[in-house]
Amino acid sequence: MSILGVVFAVIYLLFYLFGQGLRNFLTPFGLGPFGYEFIYGIWFVVSVITAYIIRKPGAALISETIAGLVQVLIGSPAGPQLILSAFIQGLGAEAVFASTRYKNYRTRVLVLAGVSSAVFSFVWAWFVSGFSALSPILVTAMLIVRMISGALLAGLLGKWISDQLAKTGVLRGYALGKELLAQREQEAS
Amino acid sequence: MLATINPTIKAITVFITGVLLAFLYDPITPLIYLIFTILVTFLFGNISLKRWLMLFTPFVFLSIGFAWMTMLYSSSSYAGGEVVLSFWWFEITRETVMVAISLALRSLCFTALSFMFILTTDSTKFMLSLMQQLRLPPKLTFGILAGYRFLPTFKYELEILRKAHRIRGVTQSKGIKEKIMQVRRYLLPLLANAIRKAERVAVAMESKGFTGSRDRTHYHELRVTKRDWLFLAAFLLVFFGSVLITYQLGYLNIFGRKI
Repeated sequence: MSILGVVFAVIYLLFYLFGQGLRNFLTPFGLGPFGYEFIYGIWFVVSVITAYIIRKPGAALISETIAGLVQVLIGSPAGPQLILSAFIQGLGAEAVFASTRYKNYRTRVLVLAGVSSAVFSFVWAWFVSGFSALSPILVTAMLIVRMISGALLAGLLGKWISDQLAKTGVLRGYALGKELLAQREQEAS
Repeated sequence: MLATINPTIKAITVFITGVLLAFLYDPITPLIYLIFTILVTFLFGNISLKRWLMLFTPFVFLSIGFAWMTMLYSSSSYAGGEVVLSFWWFEITRETVMVAISLALRSLCFTALSFMFILTTDSTKFMLSLMQQLRLPPKLTFGILAGYRFLPTFKYELEILRKAHRIRGVTQSKGIKEKIMQVRRYLLPLLANAIRKAERVAVAMESKGFTGSRDRTHYHELRVTKRDWLFLAAFLLVFFGSVLITYQLGYLNIFGRKI
């Protein structure tokens, strides 16, 4: 499980650079941090993927926290604070999986997990970054964009990556791979 | 000096002060704290000024961007005072400028605190300390450390993949659609390989007698000494001290409420 965290920490860092490019582009319009919201969902993808593959309680929370921790090890400028925000994001996804008693992993649950992470992380950012000083319209717009981003980049993209991975056969030992195997056997018989 | 502070205590210090700073909406407290953090970093950190400036400067621009956004789109509850500047449909008041500067300084404070941590902390020691002081399960700690070591090999593997593709006649992609397909071509094999590797490492660890039990001895023993607590106390003291100074000056503002 920790290796997935490491892999995603690297992907995160790549998207972090991508996000900074986007932000620099939008800054002159007075909407710098806003540009970042569009790709914010990518930070939650690791929760969705590990929960979907492993299907055990705690998978979403632990994997996200590990990703945050590894980013700190690599030397992300966000520092130790990142572990806390990663933990809170993971909590958002975990809450959704827990509410289905870790039994339902259909697309809409995964999308909901992405959205839930977005909401949790937004509440935290509202506190830490002082969004209360921003106009309510802008804050609402940011939240909506972040939720959509969470649904698409974490929920749908996460499911797609996991399904593609399952096809390669490396996940045979995990719940998702077993499910795929059972499906194939049924089709063959 | 900073490098020998227990990493867990150092991380907790950054956590707590970060959360405490988030309550304040005046420019004075974060400014004092920013100066204090930078002073500590250089007095005790043994960090080259040039390197620190190279890392820190981009964040100055980012925080200016954030301040600019706050000024243009500020909440009405923070928008008191006379109008300083107005153009198009924007009106910037004295209060909004203060809040914007406060938020920008706060984010710089976070950055300075983080740099104080990451530039003076050894990653391995940090993990070991989390295991020994916060009782993080060894299975996780050693797993993360083993995974962390793979980072350079990912780069190497990406290079192999690229060459393997090229030798089979896959050319450089052009256009957005092809770029996305290219990401897929690289991402999936990388992930699949990573999972295979992780399994192999896990098997190797267990075959060499790693049980993951917490009841184990450590080669590098990390302890929390009096100095570590002193470090934490000093940071808290300066925080409350600067809050007091701000209060004396009459600028104190907690979550939009002037005190």
